[in-house]
Amino acid sequence: MPIVEPSLVEVQRTEQLELDGIDVSGDWNTFLRSRVHTDLDLKVLEWVRSQPQGETISRCWQCGTCTAGCCMHTDFGLEEFNPRYFIYLAQIGYEAELRKYAETIWRCVSCNKCVERCPKGVKVEEVVHSIGSYLEVTGMAKESPADRFDRAYTENLLRRGVLDEAALFQTYERLEGRKTPGRELFRLGLSMLLSGRLHTGPFAHRTRGWGKMRPVLTRLMTEDLRRRRETARGPPPGSGP
Amino acid sequence: MNPVLVVGGGPAGLSAAAELASLGAEALLVEKEGYLGGNPKRWHYSLLAPDLKPAEEVLGDLLGKVEGNPRVEVRLGTSVTAVDPAPPGFRVTLQGGKGPEGREVSAVILATGFDHFDSRRKFEYGYGRYPDVLDFKELEGMIHDDKVLRPSDGKPPKRIAWVLCVGSRDLQVGNPWCCRMGCVVSIKQAVEIRQKHPEMEAFVYYMDIRTYGLWEDLYWKSMQQYGVKFIRGRIGQITLAEGGKRLLATGEDTLLSRPTEVPFDMVVLASGMEPGQGTKRMAELFHLPVGPEGFITPKISDINPVDSGVPGLYLAGAATGPKAIPDSVTEGMGAALRAYQHARR
Ligand code: SF4
Ligand code: SF4
Ligand code: SF4
Repeated sequence: MPIVEPSLVEVQRTEQLELDGIDVSGDWNTFLRSRVHTDLDLKVLEWVRSQPQGETISRCWQCGTCTAGCCMHTDFGLEEFNPRYFIYLAQIGYEAELRKYAETIWRCVSCNKCVERCPKGVKVEEVVHSIGSYLEVTGMAKESPADRFDRAYTENLLRRGVLDEAALFQTYERLEGRKTPGRELFRLGLSMLLSGRLHTGPFAHRTRGWGKMRPVLTRLMTEDLRRRRETARGPPPGSGP
Repeated sequence: MNPVLVVGGGPAGLSAAAELASLGAEALLVEKEGYLGGNPKRWHYSLLAPDLKPAEEVLGDLLGKVEGNPRVEVRLGTSVTAVDPAPPGFRVTLQGGKGPEGREVSAVILATGFDHFDSRRKFEYGYGRYPDVLDFKELEGMIHDDKVLRPSDGKPPKRIAWVLCVGSRDLQVGNPWCCRMGCVVSIKQAVEIRQKHPEMEAFVYYMDIRTYGLWEDLYWKSMQQYGVKFIRGRIGQITLAEGGKRLLATGEDTLLSRPTEVPFDMVVLASGMEPGQGTKRMAELFHLPVGPEGFITPKISDINPVDSGVPGLYLAGAATGPKAIPDSVTEGMGAALRAYQHARR
């Protein structure tokens, strides 16, 4: 039977290969990629455990109570979003599998049902976010629309210390290459004007003393990100409790 | 020699009293309820795991040695309300039907046992709200009377689920310990039901199966001979399905990594063991150390599990932690022997 799923097939080129005296050099394209998990790498686990958000990860005993009630998994039907499985992959350090969920893991809506029910006191929601952070700081996660929005949001907020919603909307449209039809734009603008959220451009609000606050905050955030990147890339931190 | 006071008339207490009598000592057996036999009697346990011997037979054996025995004075509906040291023994106050009564005793054995976890505290399982969600001690009575029927409509269930570790191994309710018998008793119940009613389907939701030691045999038989099915995952919630006619058990099948929402006609909760009210009261009265779980801590639990550390005061059965009946009976005997040695000195 021909193999129809190319992603499963490894093409191997052998310049010189003899089997039982017969020359079989050439292209071999029928090697199926191995599905065997061959390494238990504790780097992810150590990193997650070293984060304040992630320290409860080692309590997890894989009962599935969190996933059972997780609204992403059940109500919204996003089957790939499985907090128990994310934790397992992080526990055994199966990075190759974990990175497949780089786009999914951020979908948690922080309803905290999992934390409410976990019989072992795992702060599931925080741990899942921490695993997501690992994927992000190690560069395994491509920037998703949600990430781009988060970044635009933060930059917007940092500009004056108050959110400029109209500008944020514009940035979002530009980033995602979207264009809202004129009539809808008008309706949106009107409702924003009426609800007092159209303070933009020269009319934008600002926070008093923001000129002094901003550099401090920016530096803190940059340093935090750098630190997290370094710990994720560098040697695993010592084993904690 | 003054009698030895035995507090609690369950398997451990009965065994202690019977053993004291056989040694030629006098036993004063005090039980706060109006009957002897403890939790097995109260909840009409059916067959006892793992030998599937009727509970009545096992209890009957112990009761036969105690009831009517001239060396055992049984006081039902009676509690110990005060205690003072009166070396080598104690002076205790008993509160029964007739008002307080002082007694001199040469030694005391606490066999105050456990209480079943109140499953209502695990509110997401709907116990107490949905009539067809049962606690497994209630199912014991049904199996015993061969009336396994849905309380809601009196009809026999077609498909039954067991949920293990209810109120055990669960920080949300503050009970991190394992109940030790939830697995084996649930599996035993499933086997009993499949024996008598092969048309009923039995599914057990588990995290891991703890049928330790020789009990493993029953676990194997349950699958191989009786077709009991096991699903790995802890149930998250139980709700109503099919217009309230059935129950929906929602969980994750962790082997499938998928949500599972299966309708059942009956769901049985394997509620854990907590230190009994009597155990808590006696620990206070005798100033005994209790562990973080609330059970009494023996002085040296590994080499002398029946010694409290107070001269003349001994412990037996589930007062010191979850325990099966044979273990409780053995401890009752051990405590009786130690009390006898103390009283004779
Ligand atoms: S907090 Fe996130 S992971 Fe937890 S149940 Fe809600 S959506 Fe699922
Ligand atoms: S509920 Fe808690 S212990 Fe169970 S799988 Fe989820 S995180 Fe792990
Ligand atoms: S004996 Fe079984 S049901 Fe009871 S707590 Fe232990 S694992 Fe859970």
